[in-house]
Amino acid sequence: MSDCPVLDRLTCVLCPVGCELQVRKDESGELDVQGNRCDKGLPFAVEEILHPKRNLATSIPVRGTASKMVSVRLSGPVPREMIFPILAEIARLRPEAPVRRGQVLIADVLGTGVDVIATRTVV
Amino acid sequence: MEANETHDVVVIGGGPAGLAAALGARRAGAGKVLLVERDRTLGGILNQCVHDGFGLFLYNEAISGPEYAERLIDDVVREPIKVETGAMVLDITPDRVLRINSRSGYRLVRAGAVVLAMGCRERTREMIEIPGTRPAGVFTAGSAQNLVNLQNLRIGNEAVILGSGDIGLIMARRLVFEGVAVKGVFEILSWASGLERNVRQCLMDFGIPLELRSTVVEIRGRDRVESVVVAKVDDKLMPIPGSESVIPCDTLLLSVGLIPENELSKRAGVALSPFTGGAVVDERFMTSVSGVFSCGNVLHIHDVADWASFEGFAAGESAARYAAGERPAGATVRITAGPNVKYALPQLVTAGTAGVEWNFRVGRPLRNVQVVVKGKATEKVYARKKFGRLLPTELQKIKVRPAVEEDLEVSCHE
Repeated sequence: MSDCPVLDRLTCVLCPVGCELQVRKDESGELDVQGNRCDKGLPFAVEEILHPKRNLATSIPVRGTASKMVSVRLSGPVPREMIFPILAEIARLRPEAPVRRGQVLIADVLGTGVDVIATRTVV
Repeated sequence: MEANETHDVVVIGGGPAGLAAALGARRAGAGKVLLVERDRTLGGILNQCVHDGFGLFLYNEAISGPEYAERLIDDVVREPIKVETGAMVLDITPDRVLRINSRSGYRLVRAGAVVLAMGCRERTREMIEIPGTRPAGVFTAGSAQNLVNLQNLRIGNEAVILGSGDIGLIMARRLVFEGVAVKGVFEILSWASGLERNVRQCLMDFGIPLELRSTVVEIRGRDRVESVVVAKVDDKLMPIPGSESVIPCDTLLLSVGLIPENELSKRAGVALSPFTGGAVVDERFMTSVSGVFSCGNVLHIHDVADWASFEGFAAGESAARYAAGERPAGATVRITAGPNVKYALPQLVTAGTAGVEWNFRVGRPLRNVQVVVKGKATEKVYARKKFGRLLPTELQKIKVRPAVEEDLEVSCHE
């Protein structure tokens, strides 16, 4: 097993311990993970290799207010390749004040099942 | 000095540490609490940190900086805490009279206890002395973050980032989102100074190269940056002649370190540590000036806002008890940084105290580390903890359960 080439080395970001994970592919094509000190490391590494997910954050102008920007993020992570398509959707938004923290600005953005939400209150 | 008003606890700075300090003071029974913030709004630097990853320890979920700030602010405004924004503390005397300039004018405020929570500043081009011309287009990463996230300004088209601090890494991704070409991140050390997670999510995800052991040796351009010259460095961090290359760009971002903003502390006579750039404190976060406490980035640089807040809660509670008249025996036990340790904090502890938790930071990346807290006179081992890996970017903790009666040393052994 350990003589199969290392596909990737990555740091688990689920908690501050930050285990260094080594991911290999064995003869049968299964992913093998070493270095994790808890059972959350395996699914994290497999997802990170096969289909990494990310949250994203940006800020957009708000109409009808002096403090002109509202910061936004996603309610949960999306497949990494969705980042730029979602950013393009967000760039079209021009919400009207007031905007509340947690307010959904785009529901189920591009069918990903996650929402674009405001992360600050602008009145 | 005749004061115009009196408070039990005055907190200076309304960021993650100061907001928590005001709450901590109330929880520990302080009646009158004043929170003074220089900016127009509370929240400090959290307001421009729109990325997520805040709150994992304080709220058990990953939220953005503005959300983290709003939650703390919601708690503060529910309490009878007097909040003053757009107000500047000009001076503190050693007997805790503050000169405050605010929208309503200048006045003197007497404090039962003071909590310093002024945060930190970024190192600038001048402080690291990059040669070259002085064109527009050179920004610290944090000021670029403010311009992009809060003021909706486009800062350039092609950027180079010097230094791999977390804000620089976060801004690399942020600029990519805004359509700016990020040509590379250059780091003089042989390791990234930001968190591993940010190297992965902010650089590798977008194919931005991270060049270690290299730096910017010249800025070129007359009115606006036209290019920068980068070079490899040797073991003494000096540029290697012949390794230079020219990178065309119109923007240079600097993420080359943070410095605790201690001008006020110095005026109050607070003793500072050369290792942290912040105050020397005891286990209650009290400085060398009786009744003056310190927490957050003005005390030492944190990599996670939550820890700045936890320090704030603790410092605020200590300040409230001091204001109520509590006077512990005085900290006499000294803890010093031994081999491989950059600093350990608190630096002083009251003799006989048990269960003190120390923050420490290593000087270079270490693997399979044993951290040892040892008595200087007796060589007695007070605490021991193993880590698979320790990085200079990560603030770590070690708890000493037994009562401490002698000077201690924290050391790390591979």
